[in-house]
Formats: sequence, C-alpha cells, structure tokens
Amino acid sequence: MRLSFTLPFFLVAALLATSCRDSGPTGTNIVTRELPESQQSFRLVDSSAERFRYQKRDAAASTESAPAASSAPELIYTTPEGWEKQDGSMMRDVNLAFGENGEGECYVARLPGAGGGLVANVNRWLGQMGADSLTEEEINALPKKPLFGQPATFLDVEGDFSPGMGSTEVMKDYRLLGLILASDAGAVFVKMTGPKTLVGENADAFDVFTSSLDVSLN
Amino acid sequence: MASKPIDWSPSNWPKLLYQFFTSFKVATAIFVLMTIVTLLGTLAQVDQGLYAAKVKYFHSFFFTDKIFGIPVLLPGGLLLMLVLFVNMTLGALVKVRKRWKGLGPLISHFGMLMLLAGGFVTWAFGTDGYMALYPGMSSNRVESYRNWQLEVFPLDENGQAKQAWILPSDELQSIRVDEQRSYDADGLPFDVIINGFTKNATPIPVTANGASDATGKEIDGFKLAPQETAKEAEQNLPGAYVAFDPDGEGENAEAILWAGSYRFDPKEDPMPFQFTVDGKNYGAMLAKKSWHVPFEVRLDEFIFERHPGVSTARNFESRVTRFSEAQETSLEIKMNEPMRYVGYTFFQESFGPPDGKPGEMFSQFAVANNPADQWPLWALVVTTIGLGIHFCVMLIDFIVRSRKKTSAAPSS
Repeated sequence: MRLSFTLPFFLVAALLATSCRDSGPTGTNIVTRELPESQQSFRLVDSSAERFRYQKRDAAASTESAPAASSAPELIYTTPEGWEKQDGSMMRDVNLAFGENGEGECYVARLPGAGGGLVANVNRWLGQMGADSLTEEEINALPKKPLFGQPATFLDVEGDFSPGMGSTEVMKDYRLLGLILASDAGAVFVKMTGPKTLVGENADAFDVFTSSLDVSLN
Repeated sequence: MASKPIDWSPSNWPKLLYQFFTSFKVATAIFVLMTIVTLLGTLAQVDQGLYAAKVKYFHSFFFTDKIFGIPVLLPGGLLLMLVLFVNMTLGALVKVRKRWKGLGPLISHFGMLMLLAGGFVTWAFGTDGYMALYPGMSSNRVESYRNWQLEVFPLDENGQAKQAWILPSDELQSIRVDEQRSYDADGLPFDVIINGFTKNATPIPVTANGASDATGKEIDGFKLAPQETAKEAEQNLPGAYVAFDPDGEGENAEAILWAGSYRFDPKEDPMPFQFTVDGKNYGAMLAKKSWHVPFEVRLDEFIFERHPGVSTARNFESRVTRFSEAQETSLEIKMNEPMRYVGYTFFQESFGPPDGKPGEMFSQFAVANNPADQWPLWALVVTTIGLGIHFCVMLIDFIVRSRKKTSAAPSS
C-alpha cells in the first residue's frame, strides 16, 4: 500500500519543480498596464547625449568648479598655477591646458558604469603612447594615488602619443600621467598629456590638482 | 551464497524506485554531493558574484563546472534538495518502523522536511525588490533589483502617459546580443523589433576613444559598448538596439535604449526615447520590473549619522507611516528591526545619494515577500522538540535498564 504513494508524489514534485519560477509576467506577448500617477511623468530630453547622461560643459562657469550633468554632483578643484581652463566637451567634466602654447592638457571624465573597465582603459592609454599592453596582474600591481579619497590606478608612460578621436597625428616624445578609478558604480578618468619635459615640470601640479578634486555638497 | 537477481520487469519498477529512494546509500550520496556543490558554489561567488553563483549552483537541476580543468556535469542544489526531500519522506517517515522509541527521530525528520519545503517555497514563490523614498514621499511600488523590461507608451500633449505596453523582463532578457525578435503589440500602430539585448553596456559617442570596442549600429552619434557583467547583478545596466516599425507607410524609428536613462534616484523622472508614428508621440525605455504591495508606506524621517571625519555610516534608520485599508500605523525600521506586514518584510537596506547631506537623503528598503519566511524557525522548533523527546526517551530507557541491571546483579 505504501507504494501507491510513491508515483503520485514524484508526479507532483516533478510538476512543481518544472512549473514554478519567478513570479511576474511571462510569455512572449506584449502586455499592457495602466500607469499609476507616480509613473506618468517623464523627463523629455532632446538628444541621445542627454538621455545617456552626457552633457556639453559650460567653460564660462566658475573657475573653481565644473557644472555637471543633472544626475552627477558638481566637481570642485584647485587649478594649479599656470594652468588654464579650456572649453569643455561632451566627454570631459574638467578640461585644463598648460604650457606656453597650451600644448599640455589635463582633463577629468566621468562615465556611468565601469566605463569599459580598468584593464581595457589602461591598455587603451598604453596603446595611444605606443607601449605594449599589460596583463591584469601587471595592471593591479601599478601604483595607486588617491582620487576622491579612494585608491586610483596611476599610470606614467612615455612614448609617441596618438590621441585618436579621428586624428591620425602622432606627437613625438610625449608623456602621459593618468589616474583611473573604475568601479561598478561609475568610472573617473584623469589624464594629463604633453611633451615629456613639460609634463615632467607639471607632475607635482598634477598631484595638486588630482588631490584637490572633490564633490561639492552645497 | 549468490544474491537474488533483480527483477527489472516494468511491473517491478515502482518497487525498485521505492527501494532506491529509501536507501541510506542515496542519502549519503546526496550529502557528499551537497558538500561538493556548496564548496564549488561558495568559491564561485568570488568570481561570479552572489546572484549568478546562487542561480548556477543552487537554483539548478544540473550544472557543469571544471574540476582540475576537466568539465564535469553535476547535480544542482535544486535537484539534490528534491531527492533528499523524497528520500527523507519515504525513508524516515513512511518506511521507518513506527514505535514509541522512534517518535523523537520521526518528529525531528519532519522538522527537517519543513526546512526543505520552506526552501522550495522561497525559491518558487518568493520575490525580492526595493523601495526608495525621500522624506515626505510615499509609495506602494516595489522595483526589482535586476530584472529590466521594455516599456512603450503614447505621450499626451503634456508629455505624460497613462498606459504602457510592456515586453516582460523574462522575454526581453532572454534575447541574445546577436539575435533579432519582433513583437506585434495590439493597440499600437507599429511592431517592436529588438536587435540584440546586452546585459551590461554603456552607450558611448562614436568619436570617443573606446568606440572601437562598441558593437552594432551607430544611432544618433552613439554606439552601445558591451561591458563585462558585474558580479553583483543589480549593478548591470543593460542596453538594446530597438526599432519601431510602423504598420503602414513610414520609416522605422531606431534607438539605443539604455537602462541608465531610467532613474538612479527616486526624485528623478526616467528619460524615454521619443518618436512619432502617424502623427502621435510615443516614448520607449528600459524600466525596472515593478509590482505593488497592498499598502502604502510614507517616509516621515530618515535618521542618518556618519562616523566622525569619515563617510562611513554609523547608524541609519527610518520612521515611516504605513497606510492600509484598515489602519494608519507609525513605526520605525532599523537595521535589524524590519517591518513585517501581510507577508511582506521591509528591511532597512541602504541610503543615497552617495554624496547626499543628512536631511536630504533617501532611504532604501529591501522588500521581501516570502510565504515561507517563518518556516525555518518553526522547522527548527519542531526538530528541537523531536530531539528533546528522543533524548528523554533514551535517558529514561537508560535509567530503567540500569536499574534492572542493578537489581539483577547478585548482592555481595
């Protein structure tokens, strides 16, 4: 008589195991629903750039702060002596130049998400300087410097600089100093490039600038 | 002496199955396999993250993993638990000889079965999500951490929408990067075509340095750059190439839809892609799957304290008012003091924004609906009672037998 229990039990267990998944809508058909009042409003923007949280920066704003996209807090920083603010761009929150003819530049860029990840970005910068790529272990062993109070990966590389961005120009004897802070919550890049000697003269200023970067809570 | 040959005839299969599932060998094998699966699943959490490892190792019937470089097919936690449930039900409750001495183990095994059943109910019927509120805001809407759906809606002249057409998350998230699927939505004058869904992506301008890593078509100066999926699945921001193909004349409206256009903050409104078909405006976006709880919660006050000089939180708790049909209740939700109500549990989980000032921050609650929430507690109570009874029975038996021995021993 006990055996009479066995088969129905297996059938029920198998049925439950194969039919029960996460709750919520399933299937291939599009379904409709009425939107409650709290979900009826949207922020309608004109461009994909805004929709993707990129925004053209206003270079005419304060000399000590950078207005950011509506979702991102404002950046504050110290502009090193001899450095000048430049026009912003879609990708750059802060854009500075230095040198007699502004041949050295330093910028800050923020991206939502990991921004491609640490390894890809370090190797991209190395590639721009004509240097060989590093392995993940080698990149993890690179020195760290503070950025927004967290340890950011520091890159110091010399070579011939190909900036990319559609440009085929190659600039000889350049040096790149960079900091990358990449986490799943967001990525911050600080990149300084220029003629080797000029960058060497401004290396301390780079540290002053990066250590002054902060987020305004006002 | 030769053992009796096994009768493999179909009529004997139920008996063979019964013998198989009630055997101690099967129970032992399950415990050995459970140890291996638990070890592999725990180690995998380091690289794959908590959620992905849980799904692969513990919420599966089978999975493959490399052990010393060799791919091995192993039973998943779900299958092992089901077989253990059957084994314990048949072996420890049905097959076992019923006698008073066995009452304790019988009750204890019943408690363990309750524990297994609770795990199954949680897996099958439990939901988890979150609700984020600024002080003064109220809501009954819970959003999923990691499930994204496609929403399309007609926009009125004020840019608002009253109804949405939804491609559910189960369907959307099953679309591969290189796959195209088309959907005909009743009531909408166009088909929705998905040209690939990426689990974690960032739209980048085609002029940017990293654009060479991006895949797919350039739309409005952007491409979608796939990213490695994050270890914590809730941090992924998926993206999709979507086209809206009018039923009649007219060109397709094409867009990159990205989860980052949704909201990161409860005060934000989502930013949909806008397009026009037959002179009517529509919006489309990737939105988190959401559902409602049968009561409303208002955040009255969020108390947040940091350790002096650092950004680490020392304490955060929420004072809320719960509105249900029957009553209005004021209460506090703290780190280890959740609010439990009609099957839902609100845990104090998080806060934001990260650079927010005290007094201007939102409070985030983890909202779990688990019908078996209290089953583990009751299962342990039942198991403890069973073991207690067994201990008493054995103690009494020992005392009685000792006395018998003592009385039977010849006096010196």
